Amino acid sequence: MSDEPRIGVFVCHCGLNIAGTIDVKELTEYARTIPNVVVAMDNRYTCADPGQEEIRKAIKQHNLDRVVVAACSPRMHEPTFRRTVADAGLNPYLFEMANIREFASWCHPSTPKEATEKAKEIVKMAVAKAKLLQSLETMEVPVTNKALVIGGGIAGISSALDLAGMGFKVYLLEKTESIGGHMAALDKTFPTLDCSICIEGPKMVDVSRHPNIEIISYADLVSVEGFVGNFKVKIKKNPRYVNAEDCTGCGECRDACPIEFPNPWDENMGVRKAISVPFDQAVPLVYTINRDYCIECYKCLEACGARQAINFDQQPEEIELEVGTITVSTGFDVYKPYEESQYGYSRFDNVITAMEFERLILAAGPTGGHVIRASDGKQPRSVSFIQCVGSRDVNKHEYCSGFCCMYALKNAILLKEHYRDDVEVYIFYIDMRTNFRGYEEFYRRARELGVNFIRGKVSQVAEVPENKNLLIRAEDMALGEPIEVESELVVLSTAAVPSKGTDEVSRILSITRGGDGFFMESHPKLKPLDTSVDGIFLAGACQGPKDIPYSVSQGSGAAARAATVLSQPTWKIEPIIASVDPSKCKNITGKCGICVSKCPYGAIKAEQGQAAVVTAAMCHGCGTCVAECPSDAITQQHFTDEQIEAQIKAALEDNPEEKILGFLCNWCSYAGADLAGTSRFEYPPTMRAIRVMCSGRVDKDFVLEAFRQGAGMVMVGACHLPYDCHYISGNYKMKARMDALEKIFEKLGLSKERFRVEYVSAAEGVKFAAIMKEMTEQLEALGPEKIKAENEKLKPTIDRMLERKKK
Amino acid sequence: MNKRWWGIKTPVKLLKNENENELAIEMVLHAKHYSLALDKNKCTGCGVCMEICPREAIQVTRTPKAKGEKAKKPTVGVNEEKCHYCGMCEAVCPFGALKLKVNGKTVIPVVKTESFPQLIREIKIDESKCGLECLDIKEACPLDHIKVSVCNADGKMITGATSKIKKKLKVKVEVDKESCPCCRFCETKFPDGAISVEKMFYGRLAINSEKCPEGCHDCVDVCPIPDVLCIKEGKVQVNDSHCVYCGACKIACPEEGALELNRTRIRHTEVHSGAWNKALEKLASTNAVIKEMENKNAQKLKKVILKRLPPEELDT
Repeated sequence: MSDEPRIGVFVCHCGLNIAGTIDVKELTEYARTIPNVVVAMDNRYTCADPGQEEIRKAIKQHNLDRVVVAACSPRMHEPTFRRTVADAGLNPYLFEMANIREFASWCHPSTPKEATEKAKEIVKMAVAKAKLLQSLETMEVPVTNKALVIGGGIAGISSALDLAGMGFKVYLLEKTESIGGHMAALDKTFPTLDCSICIEGPKMVDVSRHPNIEIISYADLVSVEGFVGNFKVKIKKNPRYVNAEDCTGCGECRDACPIEFPNPWDENMGVRKAISVPFDQAVPLVYTINRDYCIECYKCLEACGARQAINFDQQPEEIELEVGTITVSTGFDVYKPYEESQYGYSRFDNVITAMEFERLILAAGPTGGHVIRASDGKQPRSVSFIQCVGSRDVNKHEYCSGFCCMYALKNAILLKEHYRDDVEVYIFYIDMRTNFRGYEEFYRRARELGVNFIRGKVSQVAEVPENKNLLIRAEDMALGEPIEVESELVVLSTAAVPSKGTDEVSRILSITRGGDGFFMESHPKLKPLDTSVDGIFLAGACQGPKDIPYSVSQGSGAAARAATVLSQPTWKIEPIIASVDPSKCKNITGKCGICVSKCPYGAIKAEQGQAAVVTAAMCHGCGTCVAECPSDAITQQHFTDEQIEAQIKAALEDNPEEKILGFLCNWCSYAGADLAGTSRFEYPPTMRAIRVMCSGRVDKDFVLEAFRQGAGMVMVGACHLPYDCHYISGNYKMKARMDALEKIFEKLGLSKERFRVEYVSAAEGVKFAAIMKEMTEQLEALGPEKIKAENEKLKPTIDRMLERKKK
Repeated sequence: MNKRWWGIKTPVKLLKNENENELAIEMVLHAKHYSLALDKNKCTGCGVCMEICPREAIQVTRTPKAKGEKAKKPTVGVNEEKCHYCGMCEAVCPFGALKLKVNGKTVIPVVKTESFPQLIREIKIDESKCGLECLDIKEACPLDHIKVSVCNADGKMITGATSKIKKKLKVKVEVDKESCPCCRFCETKFPDGAISVEKMFYGRLAINSEKCPEGCHDCVDVCPIPDVLCIKEGKVQVNDSHCVYCGACKIACPEEGALELNRTRIRHTEVHSGAWNKALEKLASTNAVIKEMENKNAQKLKKVILKRLPPEELDT
């Protein structure tokens, strides 16, 4: 490569799409006049084979080392032309696109002259950036083909079994003593009424027997480091005080133990011994001593005898695993409505939650399958189910928990089938949600069995002091009047809430949670099983309430997603990432770490006294850290400060006060602007757009530089708050930065309309065009004289600000 | 210890009721009901239960008193949130003041599984040595656990008998064995050999007269057995022949180190249990535990040797 870049510009007619408005010949002529451009030519269809061949030929013939194609949006054909230049032996990142179709010809059809002028400047900006482009190499990292599944409920079990079946080694991490999750605690399952543990039990045993699966139960996740294909996981195994290898699960120790404590597995309705398993079908079948209750009489030691499985000296053990992918299937918790005082839970003996009801009606439960009241131990002759306790409530959990309607129907049918006409069953509901296969039929079955359905929200449950019966007051929407029903037992269908450890897991794995507290998927439609971190996937109810079939399919889906990584020997990583120049990083001399806190992916580490380091494989290339770094020590490849500043200067070389300089994020606002073009929404040709990957990349300096160059207006376009950002929170970081800048500008006397932040989604072409019109009108209303005067006034301050920073 | 998983999920109903006769706590689960009741009339506030409670659920503290008044027996408090109804306190209470029930049935779980011993109250009554004069014995038991009555030959109880028929009558002596602390006080009141009692707790009680505050007699006031502690020349004196080594005095004593209580041996049913060893260490001393272990080993050794001997030699 010679010192002076040799650039080739290829202008595309795109049939008449471009050439119909823009004078392509004139544009090509102009391109030739730009310094460093050694060749410029036009072609009817540059993206077609002959057009591409022309580029390849020109590279060889003219010894080109940079290529600019002036055609459509880079979102359309950038990958195509990168391949073209690569075929000709050039690094694919030495290519730049000038978007003269969506941004010029299509959106300014009635002003061809201005459109051509705009196209010229777009090409000029592209050439300015092209001059500074650098070769980049795609990184490849090795992949450890082992998987970790966190959470051994039905989703985790499905995921583990599928991955193990594909031949990958799987570690199944479970916090509690046994895998199985909520499903193992249920009685029957809807809509088939098959026994829950009877269908899950064999799966649990399959897991324990599978040669590729290692269950790590009664253990906590401590830390996770690394990146896709190369995670290092630390796990703390809590002491059971029983050696797993020696325990035969015979239960003789349990019989010898004098101490009982409330069993959380039984919703504290029954008890378990201080040495015991939570339920008989536990997997692994290893007993655990609860040292909080154990009195250390050592009767269990005696009972265990020669097996010598009991070891009171056991210590917590920390182990380290290396895995390529992580599947999170940490499930949900059942909401306990202590705060909802109108239902009387925990105040009245005979108000229980649906999960407690499951344990009552289950034959292996604490009452041996008899549904009895806590107050008198008698079988209730009337039972009321109250739906949506804590769910679909703007004051509590806004979302619908999904499966409550179905399990209430199931419990109602079970009661009716157990006790026939001895029991009257009421269901108080808002809407009965019975989608999916066989569910509606199940609803009909409940109706045919004589379950009373009352549509209306319950306002209060009161207790009759004499017999401890309950009075349910509600508004019957069918009758349109308040009603009161006396019932001997009330069962609350409570919400499913994020499990207790969700917060900790999200912190350890750097994966995000939604407003409802459940884990966020990478994309609600197209990447429902991926998280924002490559190589970490979601399955089951940890991402939102799900019933069993849905959780099982998600488990399998997540296994397939994980296999796309695990099956590869290496994983390719895009080179458009950030890197730190250690010679500039302030963290060496003092405590800085700003970049660490701003990185949405936890990809940056800054140890005290050392320069910050970006883990390449974890970096998603948003550039937020680059914009945030106070000492400009971080660079984003392919979107360097120099490249973007060159684009700014090129755009504002002539008549800057008549132009709007826009920084548009690739995923939303740039796409929105593209859509405005594709939809042929016409707007004035005042915008000069610079593409960045994320609005988080837009440095304050860029805005300052634009005004120093005399820009009429500056706009920053971003994805909508709160969840649209493709880099989790880049838009928030940008907003904080720009809010501060706005205040400075206000003080400096900059007209308010000259600087704005706009949130435009990829679907809002109309909005983009409308903003352009509005801004242009404001620009004209201000007039170049006023703008010039303001800029003149601003210049010394900006000079000072940029001077200080550039040191 | 990872406490998260054991954490209580659903409300467990914990109740506490106290009146002047009783302090009762309850744990009510849907399918199980536990209760522990302290009979305040039997309780002396000795604090043995507090010493051995593995959950530190029992607190026995000095009862504050007004100036010039007699000291009241120490106050017992039970924490219903900490108790897990193991029954150790009931098994070890010298005064039989605690009662544990599971689902309404009296049971001591730790005793049932032989995780904890029961105190041996060896009280022998020879009614043949009791004449009718025994009916007139006043204050035979300081805790009022002895009931003397007369009955005819058929065993029917008779009240207000005249002296004429008295000769045909038999005297019946009943002792509330569950609540007897075995102080042997009755031995002195009844005719020789009519009652013989073996002590439950052995030990030593001494007053450090240098530290014992002048004019204070709190220990004397709270001691459940008469004459064990008395004031002579303004100082507290000990006569531990009837002392049950319960420790009520020690809790009542306002001065650290003024009163020294050392238990050396406790008569109990034989168990093999770590929980008991720990309790014994707390109640008595490490030495007492070692002694007991040695004793147990000696017994074991003896059994082994006996097993090895041919039966004919055993007889000799």
